[in-house]
Amino acid sequence: MTDDKDVLRDVWFGRIPTCFTLYQDEITEREAEPYYLLLPRVSYLTLVTDKVKKHFQKVMRQEDISEIWFEYEGTPLKWHYPIGLLFDLLASSSALPWNITVHFKSFPEKDLLHCPSKDVIEAHFMSCVKEADALKHKSQVINEMQKKDHKQLWMGLQNDRFDQFWAINRKLMEYPAEENGFRYIPFRIYQTTTERPFIQKLFRPVSTDGQLHTLGDLLKEVCPSAVAPEVPMPEVCSWLPTWLLASSAEGSHLPSLWRDWEEDGPTLSQQGAENRRNQTPGTETLPNTVLPVEAKIEPTFEPSRIADGRKASLTVKCWASQGPSRVFIARKKFHWFRTKLKQQVFRAGV
Amino acid sequence: MEEDEFFGEKTFQHYCAEFIKHSQKIGDGWEWRASKDCSDGYMCKTHFQVKNGTAVSHQGTSDHVQTFLPVEEALDAPLDDFEVTETTAAAEVIKYEYHVLYSCSYQVPVLYFRASFLDGRPLALKDIWEGVHECYKTRLLQGPWDTITQQEHPILGHPFFVLHPCKTSEFMTPVLKNSQKINRNVNYITSWLSIVGPAVGLNLPLSYATAASHDEGNVSGQDSSTERKSLEEH
Repeated sequence: MTDDKDVLRDVWFGRIPTCFTLYQDEITEREAEPYYLLLPRVSYLTLVTDKVKKHFQKVMRQEDISEIWFEYEGTPLKWHYPIGLLFDLLASSSALPWNITVHFKSFPEKDLLHCPSKDVIEAHFMSCVKEADALKHKSQVINEMQKKDHKQLWMGLQNDRFDQFWAINRKLMEYPAEENGFRYIPFRIYQTTTERPFIQKLFRPVSTDGQLHTLGDLLKEVCPSAVAPEVPMPEVCSWLPTWLLASSAEGSHLPSLWRDWEEDGPTLSQQGAENRRNQTPGTETLPNTVLPVEAKIEPTFEPSRIADGRKASLTVKCWASQGPSRVFIARKKFHWFRTKLKQQVFRAGV
Repeated sequence: MEEDEFFGEKTFQHYCAEFIKHSQKIGDGWEWRASKDCSDGYMCKTHFQVKNGTAVSHQGTSDHVQTFLPVEEALDAPLDDFEVTETTAAAEVIKYEYHVLYSCSYQVPVLYFRASFLDGRPLALKDIWEGVHECYKTRLLQGPWDTITQQEHPILGHPFFVLHPCKTSEFMTPVLKNSQKINRNVNYITSWLSIVGPAVGLNLPLSYATAASHDEGNVSGQDSSTERKSLEEH
């Protein structure tokens, strides 16, 4: 793990710039200014927001204050999830800073765990560490540690002390030389699209024939729906000819593949056109489309910057190679996964 | 995934199925709920109880231990039996939910529970404890399973109280070893639930015990021989 020290430090010191605003219906004696804070990704909301609490409580009366809780765009924030996880799940596609609303009443009992003290956070954190070690080492490493080691782990997190934390955590990250890894990999997969809070299953780091498993293997095994099948360039383009072919005849309708597109429909515009037609997905008439047509794929993002599994969108510019100069632009969103996107020009023949 | 474990998920589901069979026979109300994606599920029971005596909010001091009566009994009992000396609250009906899930990390069952009034107001842990007999409370505090915390239900995502599973195999192993010695078949779920349940107000009628020993001989030839092997290794 020592050669990964840079990565470990980057993960530990990750921060999210956040703006805390008091909920408008809270009763205040004077106006509350928003409070700005850099939140550590690896920590927990209720552990790092003492200053936020004090700031807003200054303008409130004691009797109007009960347990603090946080919300983002109407969703109560689960304090027992790491901050970085909450941000990635809910707000990563929005502009920074992360805007969080602070509440002091009407605690949402059905959604959030109570957090009456720091001890509760510590108990939760240690419980997670113990469960992870149950998977990695049958709990042997964590149980062999003394209470003071457990305390050091917690204090390291609480006080943002990388060295203090890793002095103990490195023991939890070791495995015997004869093994190729842990017994099972402790992981949880969180998605906003599922009802269940997370996916957690038993998964060995090495396959039965001795191959080291990759993250991709894990995802394919436990969460196949999240893995977009590798879509090589020609396939991405394969629907284009269909579209173009179908719309080849004058006044013809676009094929049903439009329904696969995002709910807000494809953005179809004519370059230089003043007005944009409203499209009803599934039906559209393209007047005066001329064949043959050339299509060029231009990514709307920088491929190397996209992490696997993230949403990306593809812009397609189509223009007739003959006849009146007219360009059609269509945009499709998909899940980027090990897809190498290159610019390609191809012809759609009849 | 793996079935070479001491108490794998399939074994868990099998014992739950047997348990539920008996529950259906005696009308005890347990049922199985599969998760939306059907990859796993849990066993659950909901029951309602009426609280007699003083209000839950502990106004004034109350000497008598508050006990819960099943709804039917409360309605049958003559009114004289209820002495309300403190601030009266109408007899409140409380909904209890108990869920039995499988933990693949600890490879044991885990008991999740929560209670609320009919209007949805949840009970705090201390209110739930009030319905538990003193002797169980003491045992719970001394026993190896001494942590009850509020946690997120892994399938539903809502807050529940949980009996921490990390010590379960410690107290279950002797139970299973002993049953092996006397060559009696044991339903792991029945034994486990009869130990941890009463501590949180969940009681099992005795007929579960006799049902368990009349169960089919083996879970499956393969499973029980693996279990025997693992028990020996302990």
